[in-house]
Amino acid sequence: MTTTTRTAVAQTAPTKSRKRLRRMPVGGYVCAAIVLVVFLFPLLYLVNTALKSNAAFVADPVGIVRDPQWGNFITAWNKGDFGAYILNSVLYTAAGSAIGTLITLVLAFPVSRGYVKGARLWSVLFVLVLFLPNALITQFQLLLRLHLYDNRLGYILMVSVGVGIGPLLFSGFVKSIPRELDEAAAMDGVGYWRYLFTFIFPLARPALATIFILQAVWIWNEIVLATVLLADPSKFPVTVGLYAFKGTYSNQWPLLAAATFIVAAPLIVGYVFIQRYLVNGVLGSVKG
Amino acid sequence: MAITSFPFPRRSPVRISFGIGLAVLTLFGLVPAVGVLVVSFTDLRGLPYLPVDWVGVDNYVTFFSPAKWPDSLNALQNTVIFAFASTVVQIVVALAIALLLNRPLRGRNVYRAVVFMPTVLGVTVTGLVWSLMFNVSGGPAKSLFALFGAQSAFFGDPHLALSLVILVQIWMVVGISVIIFLAGLQAVPEELYEAAAIDGATPWKRFRWVTVPMLAPSITANVLLGIVNALQSYQLTFVLTGPNNRSTQVLSLLVYVQGFGGASGTTLSQSQGYAAAVSMVQFVLVAVVSLIALVILRRREAKL
Repeated sequence: MTTTTRTAVAQTAPTKSRKRLRRMPVGGYVCAAIVLVVFLFPLLYLVNTALKSNAAFVADPVGIVRDPQWGNFITAWNKGDFGAYILNSVLYTAAGSAIGTLITLVLAFPVSRGYVKGARLWSVLFVLVLFLPNALITQFQLLLRLHLYDNRLGYILMVSVGVGIGPLLFSGFVKSIPRELDEAAAMDGVGYWRYLFTFIFPLARPALATIFILQAVWIWNEIVLATVLLADPSKFPVTVGLYAFKGTYSNQWPLLAAATFIVAAPLIVGYVFIQRYLVNGVLGSVKG
Repeated sequence: MAITSFPFPRRSPVRISFGIGLAVLTLFGLVPAVGVLVVSFTDLRGLPYLPVDWVGVDNYVTFFSPAKWPDSLNALQNTVIFAFASTVVQIVVALAIALLLNRPLRGRNVYRAVVFMPTVLGVTVTGLVWSLMFNVSGGPAKSLFALFGAQSAFFGDPHLALSLVILVQIWMVVGISVIIFLAGLQAVPEELYEAAAIDGATPWKRFRWVTVPMLAPSITANVLLGIVNALQSYQLTFVLTGPNNRSTQVLSLLVYVQGFGGASGTTLSQSQGYAAAVSMVQFVLVAVVSLIALVILRRREAKL
């Protein structure tokens, strides 16, 4: 390319980019608005339905609510026994993710440092974990034979090993912690346990938090495993409770919508608080 | 690989902690996974006191036998269609959204958060929300269809049900792909676009010859993640159409139905050995497809 064309382009470039700046946002905002509608409309419609009386919903399912029935939420809460289900879910999610994150920590740290034999082999295992076959049948059989079927502890242990990409993410993160820190701490007489929990744990908090949250989201939303491994309704997590509620009140959409909203609301509120962290955490772990 | 010089005075704590972690992961994660292969060669049923016999490859023969083949083929087809369609559409949609959200728009963090939100809402809430949207007795989808003078039973329509499940699946998981693409886009040096603009490349050419090649690793990650997830995913289908709906029954749901019965409350006299064999067929499908995809994508990456 000759110098003359270069300068010619360079001269027209500013006007071009100014034009682009002026034009682009309008189109961009229109597209962004479409995206917002696609993702938010179903939830708004859910709330709209939850506030209707059954008669109003049957008469006009898509119409905007005129006479909000706040009582639907109370009725759904009481009939669905959601308080107990949510408590179960909190227990399963907190315990399962905590154990899972702990497993990730004690496995991935020594492997990424080469403190255990066959470190490369263990790293391969971390990848293989992602490709394991659907083990619904044997998970059920194992718990049955260990007398942990329909048992809270059994279910927690089973979901806690669903660590997914956790060990991979953590191995990647450990590389950013200098090995000299291990040596300095050891020199000062810090034991391995104490080093792991009082040095690595706080240093790796962003990575561990991402791993914890990803696993928590998975456990909270799990439904089929819970259906298979738990039989007593009093032990059901909220997903199975909501699914059972749907079976009972399938023809009363306002009540069902209210129940769905009760389950979704804490997730949405929690997500609003952690979203920046979660999205950036996932973004960071994908990059790293 | 040899052990790197271990700085701590005693090696036992690392062995103990590593051992405990590995024991839990092995017992509850790896044993069931390997167990599927073992169980697939037996006539295991639900209860532990029923005799279990070694039946060799009988379960696999049954899978391909004339009596079962219509069901097997149906589940295989649904699995492949679901995986292929959801992966392709998800990647195209995610790329479009990622390109949009990579622009300097006001409040783009809000858009990113909104796009990622369904992942957090999960299958049960998502399933119920979309059952409401596609309610046959009246709802937004029915009104939309009515605008064009059309009618549909939605999830009750054998020709439409699978497409609708795919649509909802994409709505639910597209956020993850968007994040992966955004991470890739942020790594594209601005100078490349400037150089391309100076050379007079049109926006399409810049996209085709700068963005797409630079995004090759993100595309590989998304295709693999999409294929593996979609070939294995069944929870959303379970909630939306139930495990027994023929037009949406994927292999995992066949496993569920054969192993535990379709109705709620597990019937403990099901053919779990056969169900395990179906799991293995699915596993082989996942392994083969992801290997092929990996090889093709790596070769493409190398070419670019």
